[in-house]
Amino acid sequence: MDALIRLEEVYRSYPMGRTELHALRGVSLSVERGEYVAVIGPSGSGKSTLMHIAGCLDRPSSGRCRIDGTWVEDLPDEELSRLRNRKMGFVFQSFFLISQLSVQENVEVPLVYAGVDREQRSELAREVLGRVGLGARLGHRPNELSGGECQRVAIARALVTRPDLLLADEPTGNLDRRTGEEITGILEELHAEGVTVVVVTHDVTKARRAQRVIQMQDGRIERELRGTELEELVDALEAAARRR
Amino acid sequence: MSFWSVEQLENARVGLRSIQAHKLRSSLTMLGVIFGVAAVVAMLAIAGGAQREAVEQIRLLGTNNLRVNQRALSGKAREAAEQKGSQGLTLADAELIQASLPGLAGIAPVRFVDAPVLLRGRESAARVVATNADYARVTDFHAGQGRFLSDLDVADAKRVAVIGAGIVQELFGYQNPMGRRIRIGDDSYTVVGVMEAKQVREGRASVIRLRDINRDLYVPITTAAARFPLARAEGAIDEMAIQVTLADRVAPVAAIASRLIRRAHHDVDDFEVVVPAELLAQAQSTQRVFNIVMGSIAAISLLVGGIGIMNVMLTSVTERTREIGIRRAVGAPRRAILAQFLIETVLISASGGLVGIVVGFAMARGINLFAGWETALSPLATAGAFGVSALVGILFGIYPARRAARMDPIGALRFE
Repeated sequence: MDALIRLEEVYRSYPMGRTELHALRGVSLSVERGEYVAVIGPSGSGKSTLMHIAGCLDRPSSGRCRIDGTWVEDLPDEELSRLRNRKMGFVFQSFFLISQLSVQENVEVPLVYAGVDREQRSELAREVLGRVGLGARLGHRPNELSGGECQRVAIARALVTRPDLLLADEPTGNLDRRTGEEITGILEELHAEGVTVVVVTHDVTKARRAQRVIQMQDGRIERELRGTELEELVDALEAAARRR
Repeated sequence: MSFWSVEQLENARVGLRSIQAHKLRSSLTMLGVIFGVAAVVAMLAIAGGAQREAVEQIRLLGTNNLRVNQRALSGKAREAAEQKGSQGLTLADAELIQASLPGLAGIAPVRFVDAPVLLRGRESAARVVATNADYARVTDFHAGQGRFLSDLDVADAKRVAVIGAGIVQELFGYQNPMGRRIRIGDDSYTVVGVMEAKQVREGRASVIRLRDINRDLYVPITTAAARFPLARAEGAIDEMAIQVTLADRVAPVAAIASRLIRRAHHDVDDFEVVVPAELLAQAQSTQRVFNIVMGSIAAISLLVGGIGIMNVMLTSVTERTREIGIRRAVGAPRRAILAQFLIETVLISASGGLVGIVVGFAMARGINLFAGWETALSPLATAGAFGVSALVGILFGIYPARRAARMDPIGALRFE
């Protein structure tokens, strides 16, 4: 079966004043259905850009990108948007909730673009909010919630369309340790249910839970690790972190 | 429900909420459109009123009719007229025209007699109109009960009266007025007929006095000439209505009648000939200036209002860059973002339009009350004004909406 995500020699550069910033310099990568992949690397290593391209939020400058059997690099905006809407859920470090909307309405937003009518939207949003433990907070505004709760809303929003792929960019970066653990727990549960999860993180403990870790450096994949290799790397990195 | 409508319904909801969230800003934004639409509505109302009045006058006149009115002279013109020996409009003029112009369908001299109408000592507000038998045909206003004045009544100067439907009850209660007698001035008259009831609106003072003709009471013109002589001249009349057989003969008849009367009046302009087509032209020309002024005000207001809306929407787009990024990320195509902001702009301008229509209505009422101009606003004109406001929203909303739609998701999400 075709991989869920397949990147082939993806380059991405941005104009930065007079020079160009090369965020990705030839990345090839496959993520299979049902995998839990962590992308780690220092800031500026290109891991967020990688996630954006895999999530069809951005297009490669060159190279090819295939999502669930469709080459997407030349898809028109309408199709790309539909792909994001139907197949993907995003979770960002700073939650990105719409402050004017209530918790429930925030979760309903993707369904609006999926053309789901109001009653069904409400039903689906309540269901998924119940799952992340926010069933009692439907009418609250994001600014009335704690960071952890906001991220749960964001996860609920990502899940409400029942996506194949959940892309999380530093999902615990703005949360305290305990709350972060909870969020990671939710992601793991989702993975256990069959959702493909790609987490961009520099928190090594998150990486340990992944089946596979992709380490980025200077816009390239430095190495890919699984199994015992992964354990060793994580141990080493943790030890380094403790020393610091 | 289709994809399109789910999304647009939500857009409208979001737009409404955004307007509510910034009440002051939204209402200030609407001001330009409000004034613009109000000006449009007032303009259309007044134009509509003038048009309706002109049409009404023509209807009253009849397209085959023309009318000759006595013109009140003052000061020097009056002295000149007296020197030249003009007696003003008289029965003789009517006879002259009848004799000189064959093929007239009818000619009805009219004199408004200033005499009280009394019944058992009570005075009625009826107005006494003296005329001849042609009047009913020329004005297309007939007796509903009994008969109108006959040629014989006029020839013999009989003391008979035909009363308007509006004064029957006042004079006779629920009794049958036929054959009863009423007093006009010092004499008593026999009621021979009651006119049919006719719908008449009160109008602005104009070439033709619109009056409630249902309150008129008709007597033979010859009787009035004998019983209520005027100092001006023997057989003096206030106006005459002339009916020609074909509409296209109105103009030539008017020209000839005018020349005939002028000669009879020794070149004194103490009368005027009114032709329906000219009335309409006259009404339209006075209207034109007003339309230009109001139209300019409306155009400028709408332009300024539109620019104001655009300005606010541009600010709003910038403020909501994050939101745009979020919506794009969760699957909103550019088209959806474009629609969202466009709908919001149209909501603002259309709300302004609705308020503007109300204000315009009030303005029209005010003009009607203070200037006495007739106003009439058709549903079509109202819908048109509303359409203009929506159009302003679309026109000035496109640029901000396009700007919102062009943002790429990542750039918008990163926007601080």
